[in-house]
Amino acid sequence: MCVGLSAKVLDVNDGTALIDASGAKRKISSEFIDGLEPGDYVMVHAGIAIAKITSSDKDETGKIMEKL
Amino acid sequence: MDDTVTLAYGAGGKQTSKLIKDVFKSHFSNPDFTEDDAAVLNVGGSRLAFTTDGFIVSPYEFPGGDIGKLSVCGTVNDLSCMGAQPLYLTCSFVIEDGFPLKELDKIAASMGKSAKEAGVRIVAGDTKVAGKGQVDNIFITTAGVGRLLDYAHTSGKYAQPGDAVIVTGDIGRHGCTILLSRNEFGIDADVTSDCAPLWGTVRTMFGVTDQIHVIRDATRGGIGTVLYEIAAQSGVGIKLNAEKIPVTDEVSGVCRMLGLDPLYLACEGRMVVSAPKAQASAIVSALHQCPYSKNAAVIGEVTSGMKGKVVMETEIGSKTLLPQPSGELLPRIC
Amino acid sequence: MEDSVSAAKKIIASYHGPALRIMEVCGTHTHEIMRLGIRRLLPENVKLISGPGCPVCVTPVGYIDEAVLLALKHNAVICTFGDLIRVPGSEMDLAGARRRGAEVRMVYSPLDSEEYAKAHPEKEVVFLAVGFETTTPAACLAVKKAVKDGLHNYSLLVANKTMPNAYLALKGSADAFLYPGHVCAITGTAVCESLVKQGISGVVAGFTASELLAAIAVILKLSEAEKPFFRNCYPRVVKPEGNAAAQALMREIMEPCDTEWRGLGIIKGSGLHLREPYRTFDASRRYSLPKITGRSNPLCRCGEVLQGKCLPSDCKVFGTVCTPQHPAGACMVSNEGACSAYYQYGGT
Repeated sequence: MCVGLSAKVLDVNDGTALIDASGAKRKISSEFIDGLEPGDYVMVHAGIAIAKITSSDKDETGKIMEKL
Repeated sequence: MDDTVTLAYGAGGKQTSKLIKDVFKSHFSNPDFTEDDAAVLNVGGSRLAFTTDGFIVSPYEFPGGDIGKLSVCGTVNDLSCMGAQPLYLTCSFVIEDGFPLKELDKIAASMGKSAKEAGVRIVAGDTKVAGKGQVDNIFITTAGVGRLLDYAHTSGKYAQPGDAVIVTGDIGRHGCTILLSRNEFGIDADVTSDCAPLWGTVRTMFGVTDQIHVIRDATRGGIGTVLYEIAAQSGVGIKLNAEKIPVTDEVSGVCRMLGLDPLYLACEGRMVVSAPKAQASAIVSALHQCPYSKNAAVIGEVTSGMKGKVVMETEIGSKTLLPQPSGELLPRIC
Repeated sequence: MEDSVSAAKKIIASYHGPALRIMEVCGTHTHEIMRLGIRRLLPENVKLISGPGCPVCVTPVGYIDEAVLLALKHNAVICTFGDLIRVPGSEMDLAGARRRGAEVRMVYSPLDSEEYAKAHPEKEVVFLAVGFETTTPAACLAVKKAVKDGLHNYSLLVANKTMPNAYLALKGSADAFLYPGHVCAITGTAVCESLVKQGISGVVAGFTASELLAAIAVILKLSEAEKPFFRNCYPRVVKPEGNAAAQALMREIMEPCDTEWRGLGIIKGSGLHLREPYRTFDASRRYSLPKITGRSNPLCRCGEVLQGKCLPSDCKVFGTVCTPQHPAGACMVSNEGACSAYYQYGGT
């Protein structure tokens, strides 16, 4: 379930955002995320941004593994 | 078996093979009936390749080509796979009542241009007009004949353990282009079809070595389908390296968005080749000099174990079976 | 990445603790675990179980029958995620309905179905609303837009579900859960933390190779202490509070109800339906649908597979009667279904 797509925000306009996932672009709803700006990365599911992404998976798992 | 023919039977996977085996082969059975892209026939002392292909693409015009170009390249490439220089084509049109003449002219022009590039003559044809709604704009069927190079002996049956598996370019572009052209998912990406006539590409490979065991045209069902066919026909295993398979960023982005795997997306200008490892780097270097194979790469090898299977070496160094292609491609979202 | 991947692989390979059953409850986890061949990296005594995480797999047969009825009898245009097209109903799947002339459209987003309805006022349009907390907000947003656009030709066949009560129902089936990252992105982590008090362990996991391996390594490490634990291994996407705006819209449009999970039966309070003010968008009310109890293949053991009580290969019809080309049970339909994944990836 819940195929998630990490994508870069290119443009934000009145509750919608244009996102870019390595060259595949689409308009999605950004109504659930406040203060989204071009350049931000978001997790997209079924045409809506569900979360802002705050770091890369590599950085994050690096930290998690360090802690263990 | 089902009671009716469904879309899945036309997707090029397991069910297409089943249809051929259970229905066509049982009635057409003869020594020349082939499982390859074209039949090789001995006619008056020369070896000829002979094949046919039908085209029903919607939309009939798309970035990088149209149904006309596709119908010429498809048959040219099927002949080329056998190491045969394409010589003559025939074409048959089924056109929907009301189809604009101007569009037909564009399609014919595109066929003429592709034929010229491929060095092939379109020598006969047929035209039928069907009632409104009986066909979707225009369907084209082409047939073609070509002469085999003396030293060419390729077949899906000839892959050998120790061969390298080569793909002649980045994969999935045609399937991705058509998906986007239908505009059903609101996705925009700069992707054009890879549709191209590949006789020059094949000729170049034979210029490097005559030891080319398999050349297969990866059309519907993508390279995933072709690799499984080669593994089954040759009774070998195939091991792929996930990180070596060329895919453009855009195709991979569209696939991530829709939960699709580019391995199963159609190509219309890509060959899968099996040839001895010792020749692989020379073949790939030569391919890099050709216009339609700039991204050619060795993507794996033929193994004696895991017969009939395609194994993928993943980015984390584990091995997993590549799923068998099946049925129509359905985007996966939820 | 190599570093965290190899560090995680090392921890996994050198695990010598007690036998562990780890259950993932997200179809995309199932899919990625198969694609990456992660099971082959695990020690003998660590089992990964594919639980009920794919909405397609837990959608009862009767739901498909209702959708087919809407398409064929009520001539509604069915808008659906591609995932549902080949889920078997009692008589046929949606591909079969399409063959009989029904209009079945695949959409990427519920919002696309609303836009289609808006652009085609002459057609009756029904969106098949399935999915968990990740997907439900998008369906709610479509309802909200339909209200704003004053649509009278648009409705939803609602079968949305929520996870918390399912975790409780599955408590005995696993020693630790890989919590679904994208569900948690919406719900936050409070639910998972409160489950610790009930003795249920788990970590929130992301979806890339390094994220999945790290999450499994964390489970193995934390299991050594032999007491319930929770850890968020996906904080770059999952915040403790989740997505407040999405939660608020879900609460406004939908309310909890009891619902049937294919193979698991009724789980109390684990479903969602439209609240009274939005019931005009409820397809079952709009078309006065009869309650349909579907017939599934009696030999199919999808229910037990979902609970980790048996492996797909333990099922009599697996790979014979039931294949991805001709699925008998829902777990074979979705690419993410446990049976389909087992079949396609050769039971590895």
